[in-house]
Amino acid sequence: MTQLLQTLALGLLLGGVYALAASGLTLIFGVMKVINIAHGAFVVLAGFITFSLWDAYGIDPLLAIVITTPIVFALGWVTYKVVVSPIRTAPMSSTVLLTFGLALVLEGAMGEIWGNNSTAIRPSYADESFTFAGLFLPKAQVYGGLIAVLVLVLLWLVLTKSWLGRAIRAAASNPSSAELVGIKVAAVAALVFALGIAAAGAAGAITGVLYPFVPGSHYQWIARLLAIVVLGGLGSLNGAVLGAVLFGLAETFTAAYWSPSWATAVPYAVVFAVLLVRPHGLMGTRLREDAVAT
Amino acid sequence: MAKIFRRRGLVATALTGVLAVGLAACGGDDGGSGGGEDGPIRIGTSLPLTGEFSQPGLAAQQGYEVWQEMINAEGGLLGRDVELVVKDDASNQNTIVADYNALISQEEVDLLLGTFSSLLNLPASAVAEKNQMLYVEPAGGSPEMFSRGFKYLFFTQQATADLQGKLFAEYLAGLPEGEKPETAAYPSIDDPFALPAVEGMREIMEAGGIETVYTETYAIDTKNFDSIVTSMKSEDADVVVHGSVFEDGVGMVRAMLKADFKPQWLYQTTAPSLGEQYADAIGPENTEGILFGISHSPKANTPGNEEFVAKYEEMFGGEPPEDAADAFASGQVLAAAVEAVGDLEDQTAMADWLRENSVETILGDLSWNEDGSPTGEFLIGQWQGDSVEFVLPESIATTDTFIQGWQPGGTG
Repeated sequence: MTQLLQTLALGLLLGGVYALAASGLTLIFGVMKVINIAHGAFVVLAGFITFSLWDAYGIDPLLAIVITTPIVFALGWVTYKVVVSPIRTAPMSSTVLLTFGLALVLEGAMGEIWGNNSTAIRPSYADESFTFAGLFLPKAQVYGGLIAVLVLVLLWLVLTKSWLGRAIRAAASNPSSAELVGIKVAAVAALVFALGIAAAGAAGAITGVLYPFVPGSHYQWIARLLAIVVLGGLGSLNGAVLGAVLFGLAETFTAAYWSPSWATAVPYAVVFAVLLVRPHGLMGTRLREDAVAT
Repeated sequence: MAKIFRRRGLVATALTGVLAVGLAACGGDDGGSGGGEDGPIRIGTSLPLTGEFSQPGLAAQQGYEVWQEMINAEGGLLGRDVELVVKDDASNQNTIVADYNALISQEEVDLLLGTFSSLLNLPASAVAEKNQMLYVEPAGGSPEMFSRGFKYLFFTQQATADLQGKLFAEYLAGLPEGEKPETAAYPSIDDPFALPAVEGMREIMEAGGIETVYTETYAIDTKNFDSIVTSMKSEDADVVVHGSVFEDGVGMVRAMLKADFKPQWLYQTTAPSLGEQYADAIGPENTEGILFGISHSPKANTPGNEEFVAKYEEMFGGEPPEDAADAFASGQVLAAAVEAVGDLEDQTAMADWLRENSVETILGDLSWNEDGSPTGEFLIGQWQGDSVEFVLPESIATTDTFIQGWQPGGTG
């Protein structure tokens, strides 16, 4: 029973961080129909920025999120204006190719700046855990999970309760009508892209504390994140959260109760099985009508 | 509107093309081919400079570069300078095949040197064999490497992977009752070097009466080790023998610390041999007592070792990691074969010469079986304080102290 609860707790904590990383990807798709293959590279980039802040200035890597996220937000804005905007309305295959190229450029740049050595961020609590009723809850994962939930709630509030959120939803569901009522769809798109990248940045700061990384780690991230948003339903924030939690639980339960050798494969099998039954993902059907509503 | 779409599509295609060309240009080689009779001897290799194996790949590159510097300073090979042509295979099995084919057919290099890890050397050595070129590899000790009847393949460490931890496994199995651990766990990355290394130790320890309570393999891209550690902890393993490369070795130790799972003994393949990078990643205070199979020690009194260590420190700073030393030894073996045969054309003669002779290297004298596998025995290293000591075999131990077990949070 203890192992069951332990596995459940670790899976939920893992899923929380996955959810934050995937939220930006689904947000960008929901509004712009752009599949951002460079999303994983931005997660890793944020990890490196966090490492530099921690290594050079001793700033706690999780607290550094308040610095890292605005930096990555700005990078996202610039990336949108320079790279994505010119082909925003081009066929999806073009944006996939372009963002894949962007991911490779980012990988190369990170290698030049930080080197290709494995990088690990180890704050004082990195190897410590809370213990509770025979369970251990790694402190870094608990803090990271709480931050992920906080950022996701803020994102949800912005999308559902603010004028900005209404503008984003309008731009997502009917860009032409949104323009007619005075919403600047291009500006909204830039903002959404930057917000999505910022969410990746916050997740990158957390994952940098949890796992060592190299510039090439983005391949593993984008594979996971794409699977998560497809599982949840492309464009759905709630779907991304649900998909991420299921993905995290599938990984930990497979490793604990079946075999670690299947831990990275079974979650994808789950995605495959779900899509056979629900081709639009777990929460995709409703949100095809209202891309980022809830 | 359709025109705009088409134009934007073209822009995207053009941008992607520019990116692709730019990336290709960043491939990292100098281009050109053949140095002629008087030019430098061009030696090609492809290493995992990016991706999962970048840590040991970069160390191997450093080792090759130190060898290049030193041999050129001594007058070169056959009186000609040596020039390395290095490509980056990104830790990818497909890329490395393309890289070695390009080195041979496009770069027209004179000689080859091997890459890092059995995973990458398996396909790369097949390319060399097909082209009848000598293939001296610094890492790639999986028994699978030597079961293919290859004639041009030679491994420049002391033994194959299945024997890597033999001395330590025999040490544990031979401990008196009461001191001997009762249970052992064997997690391993799905890697052709790590798996036989762990399997070889398991066989010896089981025969010695140490019960196996956990044995699992995980995929190469595994990031999260919490579940594996939870399972090992619930089985209360006294010994953990972990088949690791680098990131996974770090991840496993950190997961063990988080779970407060501190088995009596901890042995890992490869990762602990990566010196300060390993210590920094898991915390220097947590290295105390960790054991691993090792082919080289900076303190070893082997011919040329002192000069190698000094040159490495001059070029890169710090002590050379094991993978750098193994790469250097590969250069030494290649040079010995070339000098013995006297020209670059007959690489079959070089291979025949290596099968019949031993070569003096910084790892000690190396000699080979018919299949290119080495005939020696690995050493066992242990983290003690802030450095690594040889503890087994006792005859060449660099210290009298053998820390009895893993002591995380220790004196590091």
